[in-house]
Amino acid sequence: MAGKVKWVTDIEKSVLINNFEKRGWVQVTENEDWNFYWMSVQTIRNVFSVETGYRLSDDQIVNHFPNHYELTRKDLMVKNIKRYRKELEKEGSPLAEKDENGKYLYLDFVPVTYMLPADYNLFVEEFRKSPSSTWIMKPCGKAQGKGIFLINKLSQIKKWSRDSKTSSFVSQSNKEAYVISLYINNPLLIGGRKFDLRLYVLVSTYRPLRCYMYKLGFCRFCTVKYTPSTSELDNMFVHLTNVAIQKHGDDYNHIHGGKWMVSNLRLYLESTRGKEVTSKLFDEIHWIIVQSLKAVAVNASPSLTSSTANDRILKYNLINDTLNIVVPNGEIPDCKWNKSPPKEVLGNYEILYDEELAQGDGADRELRSRQGQSQGPRAGRSRDSGRTVLTTWK
Amino acid sequence: MLQEESDLSLIIAQIVQKLKGSNLYSQLERQAWASLQRPEIKLESLKEDIKEFFKISGWEKKLQNAVYGELSVFPLPSHPAAPPEHLKEPLVYMRKAQGSWEKRILKSLNSMCTELSIPLARKRPVGEQKELLNKWNEMGTDEPDLSLFRPVYAPKDFLEVLINLRNPNYENGDSLSFRTHLGLIQIPLKVKDIPELKECFVELGLNTGQLGIDDSTQVPPELFENEHVRIGQKVLAEQDSAAAQQYIRQGSPTALRAELWALILNISSEPEDVLYYEQLKTNVIQHDLLVDSLIYKDVKLTASNDDYYFVFEDYLYQVLLCFSRDTSVLSHFAYNSASPPKSYIRGKLGLEEYAVFYPPNGVIPFHGFSMYVAPLCFLYHEPSKLYQIFREMYVRFFFRLHSISSHPSGIVSLCLLFETLLQTYLPQLFYHLREIGAQPLRISFKWMVRAFSGYLATDQLLLLWDRILGYNSLEILAVLAAAVFAFRAVNLMEVTSLAAAEAVLADLSTLKVMPLLQIFLFATVT
Repeated sequence: MAGKVKWVTDIEKSVLINNFEKRGWVQVTENEDWNFYWMSVQTIRNVFSVETGYRLSDDQIVNHFPNHYELTRKDLMVKNIKRYRKELEKEGSPLAEKDENGKYLYLDFVPVTYMLPADYNLFVEEFRKSPSSTWIMKPCGKAQGKGIFLINKLSQIKKWSRDSKTSSFVSQSNKEAYVISLYINNPLLIGGRKFDLRLYVLVSTYRPLRCYMYKLGFCRFCTVKYTPSTSELDNMFVHLTNVAIQKHGDDYNHIHGGKWMVSNLRLYLESTRGKEVTSKLFDEIHWIIVQSLKAVAVNASPSLTSSTANDRILKYNLINDTLNIVVPNGEIPDCKWNKSPPKEVLGNYEILYDEELAQGDGADRELRSRQGQSQGPRAGRSRDSGRTVLTTWK
Repeated sequence: MLQEESDLSLIIAQIVQKLKGSNLYSQLERQAWASLQRPEIKLESLKEDIKEFFKISGWEKKLQNAVYGELSVFPLPSHPAAPPEHLKEPLVYMRKAQGSWEKRILKSLNSMCTELSIPLARKRPVGEQKELLNKWNEMGTDEPDLSLFRPVYAPKDFLEVLINLRNPNYENGDSLSFRTHLGLIQIPLKVKDIPELKECFVELGLNTGQLGIDDSTQVPPELFENEHVRIGQKVLAEQDSAAAQQYIRQGSPTALRAELWALILNISSEPEDVLYYEQLKTNVIQHDLLVDSLIYKDVKLTASNDDYYFVFEDYLYQVLLCFSRDTSVLSHFAYNSASPPKSYIRGKLGLEEYAVFYPPNGVIPFHGFSMYVAPLCFLYHEPSKLYQIFREMYVRFFFRLHSISSHPSGIVSLCLLFETLLQTYLPQLFYHLREIGAQPLRISFKWMVRAFSGYLATDQLLLLWDRILGYNSLEILAVLAAAVFAFRAVNLMEVTSLAAAEAVLADLSTLKVMPLLQIFLFATVT
């Protein structure tokens, strides 16, 4: 039997450490020989930066891909998706088909977005087309809802107008960079409240793309009733669902933390809106996730802080299932080992997309089944595994 | 033969009487008049032609559904000369016990009133009315000071009353025998045993497809689920209440449930219904009732802290505050052993002309009451429809869970059924729990009083309530309670205190209701 897996982490969270210890793995320091390093974002940056020239050996795994920020930084994500769409269009891929108004049929999942200050003038042009619209400003490099605000007048972003004029050759300080998107002010409300989805996706390899979605994702609700009224644009409790923000509201409840499991959402939507519409919704969510991953090849750090007892249990199980998939059988990692893990190991994950399985069919098949999704019976289940969403995409 | 016939004609006469006052009657009348224009209606065969027209246009079906709805709550046939109290409750000692319980509740309410110097009802000043109207959709954000309010009673208080119930005509004798009932309820009511339950719940058998079992991911949908969904859609297309009730015994597909329940409960949202709800809302705006604070407190203590239902907090206020003011609910007291509490205008105590029912709907909420409404929010998001569904569920089923009666679906019978099932089929467990001071009913009572709301996962709860509607009976609650104990029997045999037993049964959120019921009824050696 090979030696025990040696692990390091620079994040002191019990949901991680308990999982390592229960597998009998051995804790080491980062200077020693390690197999598994659960790194914080800062450490990842250092490890993979061009200067250090650090290279992982064949028996080492870390918890982020080097290019993870391509998806987690908001400006990079938008750039990547826009680039991906253009590439597909150039290739003549049917996925990039547009309708008579020039809107993408299958890849229209990002609202109109601009980078500030770089695209300020483009933005102003768009803004003037519909002057009564609301836009949301998000700082590129921050998370947990920090620094986000809504605007409905150009004067509210004067600052970025100045910056765009003065800084043609001066490199932008990353801290000042924002993305501005058209705010969707008619979101689906439940109980009159806005909510968002926190879904966990594990990407085990990029080439071939293998990703898993945790079945127990959840919705986070605002504590205050939603209103599109412009007088409440400043009230972040109405518009932002991040727990970090909602936690400080008067009505925040520490027992359930304003969260619902996604299975509840599904039950509610099926009961009130019907099965077809709900299935279509979830299919489209999965589609967006897979397309976004393809646009990049990797949110850097999901919060491992648990806000409620239920939350702690969920995250513990999440890490447990994650480790079972990426370090199968508790053996020392070997990057040459490339097989798909057996389904018993998946736990609460389900296969979101396995490129190897899908290979050989090409984009055509993907598209045909995508078009056929809203009509006809879905073979949504296979006898032996749990509900896999992907049988129609192969 | 003759007796049955006259019973039947009596029932028919009573239902006709009831329906004559309904909206449906005036609609039918209008339709009949309008149909005279139609070419197929001929003077010579007027009656037959109009009947035929009703059949084709679906109006006969609506009438059928209404009659079926009335039959669901119709009291069991009794002697034609029986006084109205007998329709409420045939047994005198039960009526008396319910009466004293009500007196206690009212006394508790009145003393809270006096202590806090709050009137039972008051008219709101105009400013306050405006404010409430603005806040109507988010009353949950209101933070009135509720610290001085206590719930009027909690389920465990009610349990104590039931434990002390005795039939004065029944002499048990002091000596213990194998017939002695070891549980807390000491009332000799007839309850079903497992062979009888198997007959009653035959559609839950092992050879019949069920939603909640045969729609799980391991089972190919062609085997049962697809066909069941297809039949459900057909039932809805036919708009047949009775068929829907039969169908739903095997469970309802999530997408069809809202409509099926509405069909079974005979709820259709006519403009008059929406108007009625708006009128109730106006009453809420204009007058403040003491029970409103009790409702607020209850919602804050229960639903707001629930993982599934916290989202719907505001809907709960919108339903329950209106419910308190709905005098149409008073009609259900004709077949409820309870009676609405009477209060008197200040200074006119005892004068009947100044008596009012308080609250206007005659129902005083207790701790956990709002949990009857909460699961319905998963099905209906339009307030007036949600309201109608809840009201009908209350006057058909929920009222039986907190009034003392001999009805087979009444809480007393349910408790007795639960204890008897346990004693008969799990005697070792029952005896053990009794020995360590953990009478099983003390744990399961709260589940049954709330119809398991807040204890089961929502999807499981809805599957359970499907069967309540399907069988028009609450007995399934007692069977499920016993099945839960059977399921956790191994762990329960090892505990040595009531607290430890409570801990074993504290979390039911992972239970799958249908397999438990099926195993208990059909797969246990009896």
